[in-house]
Amino acid sequence: MPETTYLQAISDGLREEMRHDDTVFCLGEDIGAFGGAFKVTDGFIEEFGGRRVWDTPLAESAIIGTAVGAAVEGLRPVCEMQFADFIACGFDQLVNVAAKMHYRQGLPVPLTVRLPSGGGFSGGPFHSQNPEAWFLQAPGLKVVAPSTPADAKGLLAAAIRDPNPVVYLEHKHLYRRAKGEVPEGRYEIPLGKARLAREGTDLTVIAYGAMVPLALEATEDMAGARVEVLDLRSLVPLDHDAVLASVRKTSKVVVLHEATRSCGVGAEVAALIAEEAFEDLDGPVVRVSAPDVPIPFSPPLERAVLPQVDDVREACRELLAY
Amino acid sequence: MPQMGVSVAEGTIVEWRKRPGDWVERDETIVEISTDKVETEVPAPASGRVSELLVEVGQTVDVGTLLAVIDIGARPGEAHADELPEAGAQAPAAAAGSPAAEADVAAGSATTGAPPTSPVVRRIAAEHGVDLANVTGSGRRGRVTKRDVLAHVEAAPKRAEPVLHSESPYREPETQGEPQSAPAANGSGLSVMRRRIGEHMVRSLHTAAHCTTVVEADMSAVEAARGRLSYLPFVARATVAALREHPALNATLEDGRLTRHEEVHLGVAVALGDDGLIVPVVRNAHELSHEGLAARIADLAERARTRRLSPDEVGGGTFTITNPGRYGALLATPIINQPQVAILDLEAVVRRPVAVGGDSIGIRPMTYLCMSWDHRALDGVLAARFLGSVRRNLEEWRG
Repeated sequence: MPETTYLQAISDGLREEMRHDDTVFCLGEDIGAFGGAFKVTDGFIEEFGGRRVWDTPLAESAIIGTAVGAAVEGLRPVCEMQFADFIACGFDQLVNVAAKMHYRQGLPVPLTVRLPSGGGFSGGPFHSQNPEAWFLQAPGLKVVAPSTPADAKGLLAAAIRDPNPVVYLEHKHLYRRAKGEVPEGRYEIPLGKARLAREGTDLTVIAYGAMVPLALEATEDMAGARVEVLDLRSLVPLDHDAVLASVRKTSKVVVLHEATRSCGVGAEVAALIAEEAFEDLDGPVVRVSAPDVPIPFSPPLERAVLPQVDDVREACRELLAY
Repeated sequence: MPQMGVSVAEGTIVEWRKRPGDWVERDETIVEISTDKVETEVPAPASGRVSELLVEVGQTVDVGTLLAVIDIGARPGEAHADELPEAGAQAPAAAAGSPAAEADVAAGSATTGAPPTSPVVRRIAAEHGVDLANVTGSGRRGRVTKRDVLAHVEAAPKRAEPVLHSESPYREPETQGEPQSAPAANGSGLSVMRRRIGEHMVRSLHTAAHCTTVVEADMSAVEAARGRLSYLPFVARATVAALREHPALNATLEDGRLTRHEEVHLGVAVALGDDGLIVPVVRNAHELSHEGLAARIADLAERARTRRLSPDEVGGGTFTITNPGRYGALLATPIINQPQVAILDLEAVVRRPVAVGGDSIGIRPMTYLCMSWDHRALDGVLAARFLGSVRRNLEEWRG
C-alpha cells in the first residue's frame, strides 16, 4: 500500500467519492480557485468544475444552510469550515435545522461538515479549538475524529455515504505529520467503531484524533507495564462495547483529549465507565485534557495548555502505581 | 403499625427487638413485622428509652395502631433495671452498645489498616471467597490492587466444583451465605412466612388444574452472549418476548374471570434461606432489555434477602419464573403463583452430548424449561407453543 499523509488521504477520499457519485459536491470558503486554506481541495475545481466545487461567501450559516437544502433534495454536500472554530457562525443550521430534520420531517440529511480543528501552531483562541463536545449534545448529529490517514479516508467515505449529518473533525496538526499506508480505491471505515491502536493489559488510554499518536508515544515505554491505547474514531455513536471491553481487561483508564475538560468526551466516557463497569475498576478514571481556558497565542503558554507527552506519561505512572 | 405500602392494611408483630427499658437509637430496628406480603424491620422513629410495648408478638393489628412508646426525654447509657443484679456480666455489653464506645471502635479501625479497596478487587475477592486481610497490597499506602488479589487467587488451591454442574449459571459467592434463621426448636410452630407460603401453595393446588410441560433448550447462543451475567435475565427476556407473542399466558384467573394483561409484570422467586421464599415483581418487564432485567432482578433479590422490599413490590405479577437450578436439579413441577395461570421453572444448565446438525454429536449447554400451567385457562397445545417460543428466543438469541 502506498504511504500518504493524513491531508492527502482526506483529499483522495473526497475526490474518489466525487468521481464515483455525482451527487457529491463540496462548498466552502476559498476551496475552489485557491484549493482550500490547507489545500485539501487542491485541483478539485479543475477536475470537477465550478458547479461541484463552490467558493462561497464568508458566511458559515449560508454554507451549511444551503447544504442542508441540497441534502434534503437528494445531493450529498461536503461543507468545509475553514477552521473548526468558525462553525459557531453556522451553529443554528447544523444543530437545529440539520440535526432535527429527520426527527421532525422524516427527511434524511446526508450532509458532511469538515472541521479542521485543534492547536499546536500558535493559532490563538479563534483558530485552535476542538469543538466536538458541542455536538455531543445535539442528537441527530454523528461526530467522527480520525487519527490515521487510513481512517481519515475511510471515515470520510462513511460520513459522505451516511444518511445523517456528520461532523468530521480533521486535526490540523496531523495534516502533514501523520503518515501511513492507505488502501487504494474506495472503502469505508464504519461509523461507531473504535480501533485498538495498541493492545495492553495494565492500563488503557482512551483517545481520538491527534491525541492517539501522542498517547502511543507517551506510553511506549512504561517500565514494564503494558498500556493499551484505544482510538475512539467515532464520538457519536460512541463504541460502548470497545470502551467497556478494554476497561474490563485493564481496570485502569486514562481518558485523553485536546479539548477542554468540563463536560467533554472524557467526562462522557468516564461516566459510561462508572455506570457500566464500576465493578471492574481498580483505580479512579483519570482525565488528561486542556484546562477550561482559551488557547493562548504564546508558544510556551500553548504548550502549557495542550496535553503533552509528559502529562500523559505522568498520569499513567500515577495511575499504574495507585 | 406503619403504612408499609399503599395496599397494606394490617401487620403482625413477629419479634420485638427491644424490651421496655432498653435504649433505642433513631433508625435502629425496634420491631420486626409481617404483612401479607413481606416481613420487614421497622426502624425507631426517634432516639429514646422504650417505656412500653403495647402489642404482643403474633398479634395482628391495623395500620396506624400504636405499637410502643419511646420516652425521648430519657438519657442513654443507664443500664436497664433487669440488668443491674448481673452488673458484672452485663456491663461490658452495655458499654459496647453505648454511642461513646461505638465511636471509639470506629475511630480505631479508621486509623489502622490499608486504604479502601477498589470495586474490582472487592468483586474478585467475593467471587473467590478471598479474605482481603490475608492479601499483601502493593499499591499506594499498601492498597490491595487487582493484580495482588489475582495473584493471591492464582496461588490458592482451587475450590471443588459441584458435581453434575460444570458451567453452573448460579455461581453464588459462598462467602455471602444466605440468611439463616435460628432453627426452630422441635415441635415449635411454623414461622409466619412459612405459614403464609403453605396456605398459598395449598390454595393454589386446590384451585388450579395443574399440568406441567417441559421443553429442552440449547443455551449455546446465550452462553456466548452472557459474559458475567447469569442465565436468568436471558431466560426472563426470552419469556417476556414469548408472553407478548402469546398473551394467553400473561393472564390472571380469579373468581371465574380470566384477564389477559397488556403489560408484563414478571415475578421472580428469591430464596430466603431456611426462612422461605418471596416473589418480588419486575414491573413493566417488557420495557427492559436483558441487561435491564438483570439489574432489576439483582436489586430486588438483594433487597428481598435484606428484608428491604416494599410490599408493593411483591404483588400484581402476571407471570412468574423460579430458578432453583443452582443446586443441580434437572426437573421440577412448580406450583402456580395464584391468580396467575402459569409458572416457568429454569433448572440447571448442564453440558450434555446432543445431536447437532444432522448426524453429528456435540457437547452443548442444555437446560429443561419446565412450565406448570392452569388447564382451566389454557390447553397443552398453547403451553407447548409458548415454550417453543421461549426456546427459539434463547437458541436464536439476538439481544
